[in-house]
Amino acid sequence: MITVENLSFSYSKSPFISGMSFSVSEGEIFGFLGPSGAGKSTLQKILIGMLRTYQGSCIVNGVECKNRTKHFYENIGVDFEFSTMYEKLTAKENLQFFSSLYKKQPRPVDVLLKMVGLEQDADKRVADYSKGMKSRLNFIKALLHDPPLLCLDEPTSGLDPANSRMMKNMILEEKAKGKTILLTTHNMQDAAELCDRVAFIVNGKICALDSPHNLIMSKGAAAVTYTWIENGEHSASCSLEQISSDERLKSLIAENRLQSIHSSEPTLNDIFMDITGRTLL
Amino acid sequence: MRLKRLFLMDMRFQAKYGFYFLYEALTIIYIAVLFALPENWKEKAAAILIFSDPASMGLFFMGAIVLLEKSQNTTCALAVSPVHATEYVIAKVSSLSAISLVVAAILALAAGVDHLFIVLFGTFLSSVIFTLFGIIVATKIASLNQFILWTVPIEAICFVPAILHLFRITPAWWGHYPVNVCMDMVSGRSLSATGFLATTALTVVLFMLSRFCVLKMWDRMGGVKL
Repeated sequence: MITVENLSFSYSKSPFISGMSFSVSEGEIFGFLGPSGAGKSTLQKILIGMLRTYQGSCIVNGVECKNRTKHFYENIGVDFEFSTMYEKLTAKENLQFFSSLYKKQPRPVDVLLKMVGLEQDADKRVADYSKGMKSRLNFIKALLHDPPLLCLDEPTSGLDPANSRMMKNMILEEKAKGKTILLTTHNMQDAAELCDRVAFIVNGKICALDSPHNLIMSKGAAAVTYTWIENGEHSASCSLEQISSDERLKSLIAENRLQSIHSSEPTLNDIFMDITGRTLL
Repeated sequence: MRLKRLFLMDMRFQAKYGFYFLYEALTIIYIAVLFALPENWKEKAAAILIFSDPASMGLFFMGAIVLLEKSQNTTCALAVSPVHATEYVIAKVSSLSAISLVVAAILALAAGVDHLFIVLFGTFLSSVIFTLFGIIVATKIASLNQFILWTVPIEAICFVPAILHLFRITPAWWGHYPVNVCMDMVSGRSLSATGFLATTALTVVLFMLSRFCVLKMWDRMGGVKL
């Protein structure tokens, strides 16, 4: 579906993206993770054919992005991080207009609005929508022409937990239909939950690329932390792999003296910081 | 069909932002002015009014339209859609030409001008040229101030020669200058073959340039704040 080889791009004399190579298979959710200014949005702009002065090769849906024609967009749905709607028109008018630009039979606007809980606000002007409502509307706009490839930029940004959950479920439903999804996000939890594979991008380079599970496991096993009372509260940790050889823990369990015990796995964020030395802010 | 949908959307956009309401009010004022003028002034006054407003509104309104589109990021949405730059330009030009023609027809009828068809054809040609100039400038700017500054030289090369030509202050060969050809038609005079060729050539060049500028704008992907 997507093959990128030795991709480089520059806004000025110094390279902004350099030497990127990766591929994304059909039906995969592929995440781009990285701090602001790392090159995620630039990479996405290249993949959706908006930046065409790159070096190397970037093939999407069998088309070299720098040579794309406007027909290229019949097969791509793009959800920008910001609203891209006519503010003085209603949500329904916007969706009807944008769906009419494609050759494909569009998905029913009313059904899509209902899917994101906006059916009651379909006839409201977009200018009167909240940030979260605009975000949901923008998402279904990308689905209108039922494209096989979706490019989503921070799809859960500005959403409350309930709507964020709904949005993630919808993304997983699209994947279940066989869609390929490119997800650009700061949100490690979303990435860990949704993505089959993620690429950590820092300073225009891919620092790591694997499944969230493999990346987490690469750091080593989870740690177990326990506390007990003995002239005040004490705590100690051991790795989950070595729990059976921790004599103190064994005796505390035998004597029923444990105050608390919990395990903690490293998060994708920990792995990101470990590999890149950067946070995602 | 996509062109028709873009055209209708442009008209709806212009209606929502009050362009049609504004032109209803302006048309009433212009008609009042025309009725207040002496009979022998009416034809020239109508030509000046038509040329300086409905025929050239595209130059000024295109800045507002494209800036509004940029501020709402709909330029981004169109950039990643199958819409071609050619369709975008034609929809903009034809939607503004439609309102130009209606207003020009009302003013011409109110002034009792002869040769209505020539007046309207001249209005259409002028509207196309000015709207294309408007698109070329609007795609490059990020604020209304910039737009106003950029349109000053266009106004200077378009309006000054046309007004001078209307009052026959310019040499005869200036009659082939495209905006003067348009002014001739707006004032009811028929056009020469040379004038028509020059105006057509300018229109084609401006169309190609505006198409190129729209493609560049889409590559830059808009997103300015008003």
